[in-house]
Amino acid sequence: MIRRILPLIFLLIAGPLAAADFTPLDRLAAQKLLSPESHRQATIVALWSSDCNYCKKNLKLLSSLAHRNQKLRVITIAAEPESPELWPMLKPYALAGPRYAYGTDNPEAIAYAIDAKWGGELPRTFLFDGRGGKQTVAGVISIDSVEKATGLRF
Amino acid sequence: MCHFCRAAALAFLAIPLLALAADAMPGMGKAMRPELGSSAAFAPDGNLLVVARQGEHVMLYRSTDDGQSWLAPVAVNAEPEAISADGENRPKIAIAADGGLLVSWTHPFPKSNTGSVRLARAGDGQTFSPPLTVHQDTAIITHRFESMLTMPDNRVILAWIDKRDLELAKANKTPYRGAAIYAALSTDGGRSFQPEYKLADHSCECCRVTSAIDRDGAPIFMWRHVYAPNERDHAMTRLKPDGKAENVQRATFDRWKVDGCPHHGPSLVVDEKGIRHAVWFNQKDGEGRVFYGRLEPGAEIKVDGQRPVGGPRAAHADIAAAGGKLAIAWKEFDGERTQLRAMVSTDGGSSFAEIALAASEGASDQPRLIRRKGQLFTFWRTEREGFRIFPMP
Repeated sequence: MIRRILPLIFLLIAGPLAAADFTPLDRLAAQKLLSPESHRQATIVALWSSDCNYCKKNLKLLSSLAHRNQKLRVITIAAEPESPELWPMLKPYALAGPRYAYGTDNPEAIAYAIDAKWGGELPRTFLFDGRGGKQTVAGVISIDSVEKATGLRF
Repeated sequence: MCHFCRAAALAFLAIPLLALAADAMPGMGKAMRPELGSSAAFAPDGNLLVVARQGEHVMLYRSTDDGQSWLAPVAVNAEPEAISADGENRPKIAIAADGGLLVSWTHPFPKSNTGSVRLARAGDGQTFSPPLTVHQDTAIITHRFESMLTMPDNRVILAWIDKRDLELAKANKTPYRGAAIYAALSTDGGRSFQPEYKLADHSCECCRVTSAIDRDGAPIFMWRHVYAPNERDHAMTRLKPDGKAENVQRATFDRWKVDGCPHHGPSLVVDEKGIRHAVWFNQKDGEGRVFYGRLEPGAEIKVDGQRPVGGPRAAHADIAAAGGKLAIAWKEFDGERTQLRAMVSTDGGSSFAEIALAASEGASDQPRLIRRKGQLFTFWRTEREGFRIFPMP
């Protein structure tokens, strides 16, 4: 009996955790993710953290834009290690793209690989047009800035 | 109990146990990197004291040989509770004038960005009283990022970032920039606190607050502010003998405009001659840098001798003065490793000699400058090397 039920128990426990999984980011993965060559379609890489209230504004806007125009891909990076509070904060935005959180690499090495000019302030957003163009916005983004940088209309 | 129920109970029990074990063992589990935020101070007997989080306890570590070895740590809070321990918002340690050992921390609530400011006191330096919350407001809102200042007359003042005014404004649907700075005063060495009061409106929301004692003995607090519409410069205020704020003055003038969270607070010291020296991070002319400057008092503060500290990746600097010397320590990622660097001035900040102190491959806390009588030390906690101190030349 218990042998049959145990996998079910683990599925019950692990299921929600697995669904909430963030991919751990190291310096090499970060460098690749932030390279314009990695993006063949209009893509936004949005840096956020659990402590950053302004990030919520950006995530809300990106959620709305991604739902209005399916051509926009939104990738999120939590600039902190994964913790139980991260997923409940990100979930409401229903962003379909990959989601990353800092892995076990030196956080300063990850930050440097993301953007050597970044001083740690959040939000920070990288906008790719999918044709080699890349723009960086510190702070709150606007529809206008997203349209200009990605070439998409919303 | 049925087999199923027992197995299920065991499985559910295993989650917190695993989490606890992983938390205690750095490197275990991808999400369980320890928060390294720690503080250090020298006790009156010369012992080195460190406070750091371990699970749901603030632990007090003691070294009698300047960090070569450590005695078994003591739990500051006997009852477990959540504790913030990142670089900007770490447990703090200070010695009251009557010799009482004080440890403060932010206790985060389950709702994000909320918490209360806690303080525990050990009259004998070892045995802590149950922690008290230094403010009377019990709302589930931000009371976080405390700074603790002990005064020679046994007063203890804590100031922190507080969002009660922001929450009130939200409820009234009126705009409000940033958060506020509140303070609570103790006149008995941290045994009890008077009701808290506001020092200033419109602080930034998640940068550490710093404090010092001014030339005439007045307490000063300094923090990152939000000047209209969104300039993230710094502000400071001096406190009158009753603890109330004299006035709030702008202390830096870099005019960094950003609707964002720098998560990078200032540090302030007043030297033996009464000169105020500060370090802070700002973006100026499009480039983010750590700056040093002397904050000259007056009807308006003038920044004298402002200069960048370290290179473009310099971050989280701390500053202290003792024995006629002024020291600044910071960390700086060089592309491969995090370097710990410092600079020391013997002429009140006019010129500095720069030195390399250490480097680490892994995660690290912000460096903290501490003093023992006339000698300055840099304390640095890294994930790989643990607690270390470096005497300043």
